[in-house]
Amino acid sequence: MNQVPLFDHDFRAMGGPCRLRFACADDALAARVIAAAETEIRRLEQKYSRYLPDSLVSTINRAAGADAVPIDDETAGLLGFADTLWQQSDGLFDLTAGILRRAWDFKSGRLPAQAAIDCLLPLIGWQRVQWDASSIRLPAAGMEIDFGGCVKEYACDSVAAVLARHGIERGLVDLAGDMAVAGAGSAAQPWPVGIRHPRQSGAAIATFSLAAGSLASSGDYERFMVVDGRRYGHILNPLTGWPVQGLAAVSIAAPQCLVAGGSATIAMLKPEGEALAWLAELGLPWFAVDSAMECHGEFGER
Amino acid sequence: MAAEKRPALLALTSSALLLPAYQGVRADAAPEFIELGMRYSKYEEDNTQGSKTFGGSSQRYDIDAAQFHLLAPVADNWAVAVDVQWEDMSGASPWFVGASLDGSPKVIMSGASIEDTRTEVSVTTRYYYDRGNAGFNYVRSDEDDYDSNAIALDGSFNSADGMTTYSGAISTSRDDIEPTQGSVPTNTLKNDKDISSAWIGVSRIISKNAIVRFGLAYTYREGFLTDPYKKNDKRPDERNEWAVSAGYRQYFLWPDGALQADYRYFDDDWGVASHTLNLAWHQNLWRDTQLIPFMRYYSQGEADFFANIADTDKRYYADDYRLSSFGAVTVGLRVRQQIGNWAISAVGERYETDESWGVYSGAESPALVNYWRYSFGLDYVFR
Amino acid sequence: MKQLLFVSVALLLCGCETVQPWERGTLAKPEMQWQADPMEISLQAQINASKEASSGGQGAAGGGCGCN
Repeated sequence: MNQVPLFDHDFRAMGGPCRLRFACADDALAARVIAAAETEIRRLEQKYSRYLPDSLVSTINRAAGADAVPIDDETAGLLGFADTLWQQSDGLFDLTAGILRRAWDFKSGRLPAQAAIDCLLPLIGWQRVQWDASSIRLPAAGMEIDFGGCVKEYACDSVAAVLARHGIERGLVDLAGDMAVAGAGSAAQPWPVGIRHPRQSGAAIATFSLAAGSLASSGDYERFMVVDGRRYGHILNPLTGWPVQGLAAVSIAAPQCLVAGGSATIAMLKPEGEALAWLAELGLPWFAVDSAMECHGEFGER
Repeated sequence: MAAEKRPALLALTSSALLLPAYQGVRADAAPEFIELGMRYSKYEEDNTQGSKTFGGSSQRYDIDAAQFHLLAPVADNWAVAVDVQWEDMSGASPWFVGASLDGSPKVIMSGASIEDTRTEVSVTTRYYYDRGNAGFNYVRSDEDDYDSNAIALDGSFNSADGMTTYSGAISTSRDDIEPTQGSVPTNTLKNDKDISSAWIGVSRIISKNAIVRFGLAYTYREGFLTDPYKKNDKRPDERNEWAVSAGYRQYFLWPDGALQADYRYFDDDWGVASHTLNLAWHQNLWRDTQLIPFMRYYSQGEADFFANIADTDKRYYADDYRLSSFGAVTVGLRVRQQIGNWAISAVGERYETDESWGVYSGAESPALVNYWRYSFGLDYVFR
Repeated sequence: MKQLLFVSVALLLCGCETVQPWERGTLAKPEMQWQADPMEISLQAQINASKEASSGGQGAAGGGCGCN
């Protein structure tokens, strides 16, 4: 019973390293599980990546200012979730804020001109997007949506469901740090997971046992630049166009990776003090590192 | 996990869970994997009682049946199902009922044992769309003395909130009868009948754990509806049948089981009416075992032209026990054990009839049947 | 008969609380289906139809057999 072989499969998808780990007694079944899991991730990537010209997101963005684009239930569900994030963050999470990257080039090491930001701000505003269960229309040419903040987390859950449908009792889906457990067998043998140190790449600031549900992390370390001794992270306030001065990293555990990831994103968008208060109110296990590298939260053995 | 969800978490969770990845296994979703199943069944009727038969106790029907089932997804939203059933029947069946010296009716059996085999092949293609599915089905049944070809269309459609499902089906069949000559004189050499039917159903989710369904069915039969092997049998060449049904499923968290109840009221223009009640308790044991005791109660009223001692001067007449008034009780047990992708199952059931068990009055036929049935099954899912 | 119809309609029209899609996991269990084991159901229906005067009611009728 305890000697069920453990499969480890590494691959790249959604712009990051991905890993499937699961216990499976049958090699042929394991191969089918891996194929089905990868197919599911590629499906979501091809549908929601803004880098792929044929994706649904690219189609929606190309039609900005023109026609409404028909959408399916899954896309309507993601838009609904993004809408909830927008409401719960008082407008800080905005699906249309991605275009700020046109002004912010973190590799250049130079701050953008305020004028460059000012001409993008009118193209941001989730409240102006016309959408319902069957279609979406961006009201102005140049507007864009970007599901970057939720699709990877959703894919985690979706792939975990693929594993469960194949009868996998104990599995872990890890999409570049966002993780979801598949099967009830993980309760008896939880998965040890590390939480990345926001200032030391490759080091763990905490470890955690994941027995069920999921864990999502967000940090200011993915893209940033230091100008005149001040750190500017890639998490931008859609109302000002400037990086928020918030937490350095947040990890949240939740039954669904999408909820964990969305909550972590909201926490990252809020000013430090507000973020910690919001996390304490949230009702989920969380772990946060502030800008002074001080750890906060309810889980993790440091 | 916090026992009580805070407003932000509640909002996030409820909007996330609308997404397809969290819908769990949808009952009406397209199959994802190839499924194979087989059943072997043994059906054994009790011998006729000596006191009710001229010529002493006699062997009645025994049937061995093998069923094969294949369900295969052929595209994202398409599935094909193939069902094959073989039956091997042997035994005698009631030929006619006569009056004994004391006036009580006694059955005369067909004497020599009849041997017959039946092959049925059924092919269904089904298309699954967002809010339901639609299927097309063709069935062919072959016997030495009976051929049937039937086609059926069915569809279901869910309301926007998914709480209500509307279903419908229509079918038509052409049956050819060519009785085997030899053991008894038959009352036709070659004949046919047509059967058309329509059904509509509405099911509704009552709660997280309960669902109810109502249905209305109409069947029209036309042609040679008489039993060719019965001596005293002449039936109208038309029959209109109606059935209303209600079904209920309720799941109980403790003791992890479900109640399955189905009722049908049947009425036709031959004067037959019947009540059928099916009850089953589906008990899950541990993770992979199911124990399903079931019972069925059936009571029918006799056809207008039924009489134990048929009056062959009348326009229509029949002494067939199947058109008499009687009550029937079935009690059975089904056991199923899942082992990985395999499942084995076994069923045993006992069917007994008695005129006095029915709610309709009428003369007791001496030919009422009791039987045992056992089935063994093996299923495999290719996942 | 009339009472049955009345109860049916009342049940269908009652303001049953909407059960959200994600709360329908139990309803998707095999034991909650109308036809839990199609092979078993079809065999039972065939035997009953050949020994009794009534049949059908759970869908369209399909063809017959010369079962005695």
